[in-house]
Amino acid sequence: MLISIGGVGTIVAVTGIFVFLVWVVVPLFQSASHELRSQASVATGSMSQSDRGAAPLWTGIDEYRRLGVALEPDGKIVTWRASDGKPIESRALFTTPALTSISTHEASGEMAFGFADGSVRLGSIDFATSFVDPSAAGLSASELAVDGGSIQGTTLLELTNEGQLRAQTLDVRLLPPLDVGLSGRVVALDRSEKNGSTTIAAIDEHGKLVVSAIARSENLLTGEVTATTDDQVIPLRPRENMLPERLLLSGNADTLYLVWHDGILQRYDVRDPAQSGLAEELDLVEGPGELTALTFLIGKSTLVSGDSRGRVRAWFGTKPANADTRDGIRLQLAHELCAAGAPITTLSASERTRVVCAGTQDGKLLTYHVTSHKLLFETVVGNEPIRAVALAPKDNGLVALTADPVAPLGWRFFSWDIDLGYPEATLAALFTPVWYEGYEAPVNAWQSTGSDSFEPKLGLWPLVFGTIKATFYSMIFGVPIALLAAIFTSEFMDKRLRTPLKSLTEMMASLPSVVLGFIAAIIIAPIVQSVLPTVLAVFFTIPMALLIGAYLWQLLPPRKYVRWSGAPRFAAICTCLPIGVLLAALVGPWFERAFFAGDIMGWLNGRVGTSVGGWLLLLLPVSALICAVFLSRVVDPWVRRISATWDRGRAGRFDLGKIAVGIVAAFVLALVLAHGLDATGADPRGGVLDTYVQRNALIVGFVMAFAIIPIVYTLAEDALSSVPGHLRLASLGAGATPWQTAARVVVPTAMSGLFSAVMIGLGRAVGETMIVLMATGNTPVMSWNVFNGFRTLSANIAVELPEAVRNSTHYRTLFLAAFCLFALTFVLNTLAEVVRQRFRKRAYQL
Amino acid sequence: MTIAEEALALPSPEPRQVVKRRRTPRRATSLQSHGEPFVWFTGGAMGLALLMIVSLLGLIAYEGAQTFWPRPLVELTRVGAKPILGEISTTETFRPGADVYERLPPDRAASVQKEIEARGGDERRRMLRTGNFDLTGTHYTWVSDHEVQDETNPEWAVTVERMAWGRFYGEPKSFLVGDEVIAHGARDAWTRYLEFHDTCRARAEKIVDLQEHDIGAVNDQMEAVRLGLRRIELSKGKSSPEYAAAEKVSAQRQAELEREFQDISEKVSQLQQTNARYKLLLTTADGVTSTLPVADIVRAYRANQLDLGGKLRVYFSRWREFLTERPREANSEGGVFPAIFGTVVMTLLMSILVVPFGVLAALYLREYAKQGWMVSLVRIAVNNLAGVPSIVFGVFGLGFFCYIVGASIDQLLFAEKLPNPTYGKGGLVWAAFTLALLTLPVVIVATEEALSAVPGSMREGSYACGATKWQTIQRIVLPRALPGIMTGMILAIARGAGEVAPLMLVGAVKLAPSLPVDLNGSLPFVHLHPERSFMHLGFHIFDLGFQSQNSEAAKPMVYTTTLLLIAIIVGLNLFAISVRSRLRRRFVGGQF
Repeated sequence: MLISIGGVGTIVAVTGIFVFLVWVVVPLFQSASHELRSQASVATGSMSQSDRGAAPLWTGIDEYRRLGVALEPDGKIVTWRASDGKPIESRALFTTPALTSISTHEASGEMAFGFADGSVRLGSIDFATSFVDPSAAGLSASELAVDGGSIQGTTLLELTNEGQLRAQTLDVRLLPPLDVGLSGRVVALDRSEKNGSTTIAAIDEHGKLVVSAIARSENLLTGEVTATTDDQVIPLRPRENMLPERLLLSGNADTLYLVWHDGILQRYDVRDPAQSGLAEELDLVEGPGELTALTFLIGKSTLVSGDSRGRVRAWFGTKPANADTRDGIRLQLAHELCAAGAPITTLSASERTRVVCAGTQDGKLLTYHVTSHKLLFETVVGNEPIRAVALAPKDNGLVALTADPVAPLGWRFFSWDIDLGYPEATLAALFTPVWYEGYEAPVNAWQSTGSDSFEPKLGLWPLVFGTIKATFYSMIFGVPIALLAAIFTSEFMDKRLRTPLKSLTEMMASLPSVVLGFIAAIIIAPIVQSVLPTVLAVFFTIPMALLIGAYLWQLLPPRKYVRWSGAPRFAAICTCLPIGVLLAALVGPWFERAFFAGDIMGWLNGRVGTSVGGWLLLLLPVSALICAVFLSRVVDPWVRRISATWDRGRAGRFDLGKIAVGIVAAFVLALVLAHGLDATGADPRGGVLDTYVQRNALIVGFVMAFAIIPIVYTLAEDALSSVPGHLRLASLGAGATPWQTAARVVVPTAMSGLFSAVMIGLGRAVGETMIVLMATGNTPVMSWNVFNGFRTLSANIAVELPEAVRNSTHYRTLFLAAFCLFALTFVLNTLAEVVRQRFRKRAYQL
Repeated sequence: MTIAEEALALPSPEPRQVVKRRRTPRRATSLQSHGEPFVWFTGGAMGLALLMIVSLLGLIAYEGAQTFWPRPLVELTRVGAKPILGEISTTETFRPGADVYERLPPDRAASVQKEIEARGGDERRRMLRTGNFDLTGTHYTWVSDHEVQDETNPEWAVTVERMAWGRFYGEPKSFLVGDEVIAHGARDAWTRYLEFHDTCRARAEKIVDLQEHDIGAVNDQMEAVRLGLRRIELSKGKSSPEYAAAEKVSAQRQAELEREFQDISEKVSQLQQTNARYKLLLTTADGVTSTLPVADIVRAYRANQLDLGGKLRVYFSRWREFLTERPREANSEGGVFPAIFGTVVMTLLMSILVVPFGVLAALYLREYAKQGWMVSLVRIAVNNLAGVPSIVFGVFGLGFFCYIVGASIDQLLFAEKLPNPTYGKGGLVWAAFTLALLTLPVVIVATEEALSAVPGSMREGSYACGATKWQTIQRIVLPRALPGIMTGMILAIARGAGEVAPLMLVGAVKLAPSLPVDLNGSLPFVHLHPERSFMHLGFHIFDLGFQSQNSEAAKPMVYTTTLLLIAIIVGLNLFAISVRSRLRRRFVGGQF
């Protein structure tokens, strides 16, 4: 009983890992939720019948979502209780001169106001919140227990869950009027805060455009703040007596946008206000219709436009190589969020994320995440057009104002509870190219740290690519060695040597990968960098040495050939390896001088030399293969015919000559092909060969082989030696040589076992962490260049998860990466296991 | 005779030959059919694999073993630069480019260039470990042969290993007690140094002891008093009478502890003052005099005068320090004892967790569960879990153990310490849990194999004698399966000890301020702190080799740490193999 509980418990724990990973990842893909919290009529009082339900200049809500606020077109500010619309305060902020324009693009209620006499004022509209002891307020319990808060004068009081009393009131701060050199009515203005300094841009009815840097100084004695302005008039390119409707100033106050009612946008470069000028002009609407709404996204460099054709589109400046504007930037349409429907009436961007909310003429609200194009939610408010929307400061609520069908002189106020979830994460955004702010085109990128003006990029594809690259290069190196070594061990090796050598190879499996990573990064990488030509030559000289060794071995007299086929042959084979390395050390530098202009690093950078060397390197294996096929298919049958009467020694000598000719032929063929390709202008640099980085895929491939060889070797050897002995004996008895037996009987029988061994090795290579962490530069670049670094899923998790904020998008994305690894290796291993069990069954039946 | 030899000994007719017999005359041998080149390729692969492993192990063994060997000091007089004294750490040849000659004074450039070209254009350069980081700001200096005017091994050159700033190389000049010079000249100063060094070191160790154990204990008690008060505040509220009473008591206790603290500090500063009086003055090769407090000198020896015995003494003393002391100098000097300790404790905890559960699961799968598709599915799943990347287990450990289980424990039991997490972060216990999960499949698979190897006849015999299922398992099956279970356990330990990636997420740190087991206070009361983060040999290697500021100076330490880790793991593996074979032998006689 106890055992059953323990056993089942353990197995449950094991499946728990899977469930847990899914549990963490799933919220990433859950859609945003919204729920109507309250709706109420808000009386404004100051409006006449004619401007029934006119759009407020600005609306907002406090961070606890208790108070609604709106600035009426005539400069009167009203606040109301969010739960039922009961007015709290209503006062005129500006009487004379009349308010003519307003800027609301800065976060946390920082604004600028423009007036009919050409003056401007800075100010902020916010809520002051304080916490007081309930007993000190002197109010009875019943007075406080009002749903949505109790109104006392102009203050809203509410008991919090912690037993404190929260008092909230509207907090309006206005600085004295500033003269920025405008004489007429201010048509549009904007302000921008950068490193604590303020810049204002404004245009008046005479078309005078001014950018003004404002310096504030505080008098130490009186505490009075005085502001001085530094005005610069920007030359405006006028448009047929039309005045621009909107003016926007970018986040670092280096770009100014003037936008007309018909959608024409003029972009001015104001990096240096004294030498500023028009950079470009383009049409935001393109075709019939007019621009109805325009706002900045967080960071104030992406513009989101809404027009009368119901489109919401995001634009930002990119720096294409062919930009002909004076600052090298071109404004580009990057995201088209919704294409059809009723005209857009208003737009509001979040202060925390790249989320924008649009209201339409027919009373619909649409909320999008701009970068991922994800429609977070859509809701229909009524038939009245939406006049204003605002997202709550913490992105947990949304408010909207429409004309009120019931009380014609006010607004209808709606408030929603919203949960945006993880708007930037969609399957498409994680795995396909995404168009990030400032980029010329959609890209796959991973850059998890970001800020307001620099969005984090969570594209998993570069990491998946890195994993594939690491796996590919380590498999092409490790798997052939492991499989060939397994064949040798089970078929040709002296039985006495078999056990100790096998356990020595298996010992490799127990080497901690951190040790391998350290060796790779600290020892092998610098060595390879200093003798790269030799290292590259080794790939050719060792097989060549083995080949020549084998043909020399054939020259042995038959008696010795048979007697020495055990340990002495293996010893001879092993001596070929250092000979191959020596040969490489001799040939490498020569090769470098002959084909890489004596400087292979420079050659790889593309600075020196022709492409012949690179092609030669890539084509040598191909031409060797061609020659081998030619030799075995065409030459060998012919040799067999003519050598039938020769004795063994003569045949051996002939064979040796044949292979020598073959090697030379392969080299010449590769050289000819390389020159041919060079003549066509093709260059391998930029593909699999490119600039050398010290920690690269070649190193990882080599060292990761240490990790996968023992596993693949052990499993493959098991598979080969479990091929029943009678098959071997039958083959040998029928007259086949040991090689023929191995190649045509044993290996085909064990094929499924070998396959599963490779799969298991693949699983190990995919998930290996420490080696790739230490031996690659961990740069998430996507290129097949063998001399370049990369970043794998596993290394990325190891580097970033300790710093990831719990339950953030980043955290969950890393869990998704872990889940991908888990699922991938699980599938690979299961496949291998199924194949292996089938193989076992077959092997028993034989 | 191998199969291959047998086959060759027979006259071997070649199969394809048989088909073509009509066209070609029969021949004794066909070389192509032996596939000699292919056999050589397979053998070459085997040889390469062996070469890789042997050269890797050899490299680590060589580098690890020679790191601590004391090397002679060489003084190089350079042209146009100050003389330097140091140990030669690397020698290499390079081909000087034009920039090398440009840097030389114009009158020498031509002659040096001619000289080098006469030698074939290659030039030797050596990297000297010159130490004296506090004076020069560098640990190593490259010297090309053409710069060297003269090369000597000064008799009185001394290698000094210090508590801070790394090594110092120089010649003793005088010895100070207080402000009074009691010895002049290299020989006398050295004699005095040898005379006073042991007592000064003893005092320095006493200071460390006082600072760590006694002051540490006082600090712990102060923290405990503060937390006790906070606990009462949380449970009873700040305005309750209990809180007022507790506040008074704790203030009193704090004052007492404060006095105790003052007493110990007094003692420490007295010892420090005494130690500060003994100073050794040394002159560097370029003539700068440096004053080293004797208490800061860990070890000093006359590098060029050591005989073999002396060298061995220095060598083993360094190994002892490495194995038993704490790291200094950002882990690049000193010992790795905390890392060894952390590795051992974590691995022990892991095996305590993994073995019972693994054996239970295997017993259930093999003996109790109804064999069917469900069980074989579970078996495949468990098998495959062994192939799941270790980092995934780390992710699970961090997300589940630290952030969910740990955070819940904090809220239930350690509310007074919040928002500082106690269990809600990486720590020894979570690392052990994570690695237990990681190694679970190893134990399950090994145990299952061992269980299935127990012949059914033994079980049947036991049942026939009237034993129940549990009795059979307990008395017959488990003892016979013990070798397999042991092997599984040891392999699990070996895997767990070498795994680093998950530990990076669940609690291994660069430098742990205190061990996860506290020996403070009286000895029998050992406090386990399973929530503390810990040092680990594997992580130590990663940190030193990959993240160290001065990777060249840290390299020797990485080699020795690597050697140690490999020795532990290979040792465990060999132990597993020997245990398996010994137990197997013992049970061979039990075959029915």
